[in-house]
Amino acid sequence: MATNVDADHVDALVSLERGEIDRRIFSDEEIFEQELKQIFGRAWLFLCHETQIPKAGDFFETPMGRDNVLTVRQKDGSIRAFLNTCTHRGNALCRAEEGNTKAFMCTYHGWSFNLGGDLIGIPDSDLFYKGDIDRSKYGLRRVPQMANYHGFVFATMDAAAPPIEDFLGTAGRMFVDLVAARGVQVVPGIQKFVIDCNWKLTVDNVFDWYHGQITHMSAFGIGFLPTSEESVTDGGGAQDTLGRKIELRGSIPDGRDEMAVIAEYGHAHSGPTARAVAAHPLSGVQKWRERPEVIEAIGPVGMQLGGHSNIFPTCWLTKSQLSLRVPISPTRTEIWWFTFVDNDATPESRAATISQAIHVFGPAGFLEQEDGENWAQATKQTHGARSAQVPHLLKMDLGRGTVVHEHGVSRIESTTNEHAQLWTFHAWAQWMKGLSWDALHAATAPPDVI
Amino acid sequence: MTSLQAETVPGAGIDQRALATMVLRSRIETFYYDEAALLDAHNYEEWVRLFSDDTHYFMPIRRTRLRRELHKEFTQPGEMAFFDDDKAILVGRWKKVADGTSWAEDPPSRTRHLITNVRVVADRGDELDVESNFHVYRTRLKSEEDSWFGCRHDVLRRCGDTFLIARRHILLDQTIVLSRNLSTLF
Ligand code: FES
Ligand SMILES: [Fe+2]
Repeated sequence: MATNVDADHVDALVSLERGEIDRRIFSDEEIFEQELKQIFGRAWLFLCHETQIPKAGDFFETPMGRDNVLTVRQKDGSIRAFLNTCTHRGNALCRAEEGNTKAFMCTYHGWSFNLGGDLIGIPDSDLFYKGDIDRSKYGLRRVPQMANYHGFVFATMDAAAPPIEDFLGTAGRMFVDLVAARGVQVVPGIQKFVIDCNWKLTVDNVFDWYHGQITHMSAFGIGFLPTSEESVTDGGGAQDTLGRKIELRGSIPDGRDEMAVIAEYGHAHSGPTARAVAAHPLSGVQKWRERPEVIEAIGPVGMQLGGHSNIFPTCWLTKSQLSLRVPISPTRTEIWWFTFVDNDATPESRAATISQAIHVFGPAGFLEQEDGENWAQATKQTHGARSAQVPHLLKMDLGRGTVVHEHGVSRIESTTNEHAQLWTFHAWAQWMKGLSWDALHAATAPPDVI
Repeated sequence: MTSLQAETVPGAGIDQRALATMVLRSRIETFYYDEAALLDAHNYEEWVRLFSDDTHYFMPIRRTRLRRELHKEFTQPGEMAFFDDDKAILVGRWKKVADGTSWAEDPPSRTRHLITNVRVVADRGDELDVESNFHVYRTRLKSEEDSWFGCRHDVLRRCGDTFLIARRHILLDQTIVLSRNLSTLF
């Protein structure tokens, strides 16, 4: 089922006015190819955190679209990112996913490259090449742009992309700084697993503070997530398979005090405010929010955010984790979880952060076990020609979101809503048109009402 | 009958130590087969009772590393993992499924736990180090199919004529977990 992805068609796939998305975009192969080109081939994508590669020769491999990229710590402490492909005849230069090395030797014919990517060795170069080969021409290919933003290493395949600071903008920088300004390091061990779903459904869920009470009902039921007697939630007529009224345990936060941020290029944030999160018994004391350098970095709006951020397209930041959603095919997505602890964490708080990360998210997490099934089944149903014509709805609070433009950030204060999801899909449509960077920036400028 | 029994009288030419080893392994295998039957019958309430109160149920993250860095292949306790459970969390896993709202397991998956290559690698009297291989096969809904191979490094504590699992480290033969979740137990 191929959809013709020209600009008119893209606009027909996402309606900001009606809050409706054409569900064919969740399994269409041509759309997926266009996404790899227009989105993953252009956007700044997260590679790793600098603390994963502290020593000279440390490397970590990350996909950018279908390109595999090696991020390597240099002898002078700087960082470089290379395509993991030999410049001789293309073999993968490095087959380990992380580690430490003195040099990269290709196991096909032995061409060898130093940490900086220079070609330093060609077996039998005098005898066979007779001095004809100019080594300086065949160094490893570096990604067109790479940047280390406050410890978070990003790269883009587009040499014309704006600098990372501009791509992130005030909002995106704030999202990263909400984690970075505390001073953090990655806990060894990146969880990686594969869900048979479209990547956009996983991003849609980043901002979904509506599903928890139902999808994660079992986590509330066993007391893994705290519930509140006072904030009893209206079942709204929801029934179980025995026809019994669903009794929703009041969740904390209760969805009455939320803030969304929408930004240029499609970055967004949604969820409870910091105030609402502070009422959560598991949130711990957020002392870090009182540090001058944190206040300075995240600004007055950042001080109020307590939800989930996404750096478009697929870099999800929570308080102490980063999740990449790596598109493998229209119906396959890898989930990578990076976990951060504060550099000055006590052993107890470090252990608590790690335990929470393992038991909430990840494939065996008390929450994320359920998420994957929803996305997989939603993806599967789009294979039905008629089912795919049933639109994907993002109508919650639609048209009621007053956008406040202040401190360089556009925010909406409301109850639980679907503004950030809808904004993500709107931006997706603009990216898919292959606009110039200036035109893309203009097309994703937040409106006054959403 | 009588003559047969006479020939197999214990001690009649049989290495007593070999016999004791076989009997011990057979008891452990029986314990594991019973455990697997509980898991495949979704009887997690009985299953968690097989674990000691101080148990540690741990599945590290495995990384593809160079041979000379193979000692860093698995994450260690205190680092990230897929499972890092004490008894209370394991009880939580049983209760989650029993809650009736654990949608990833409702309708339930169909699982088959095959346990092989059982080896007693140390016997300290009160506790044994036992390694075993597993193949866990899962089908789910119409077409989902998962297959996990790996090994388990257990500490079994002698408890009357049976055992308690005082530690289980599960080493999965995958780096990227090739399934949408690990709502199955090992
Ligand atoms: S392909 Fe790498 S040395 Fe030939
Ligand atoms: Fe969820």
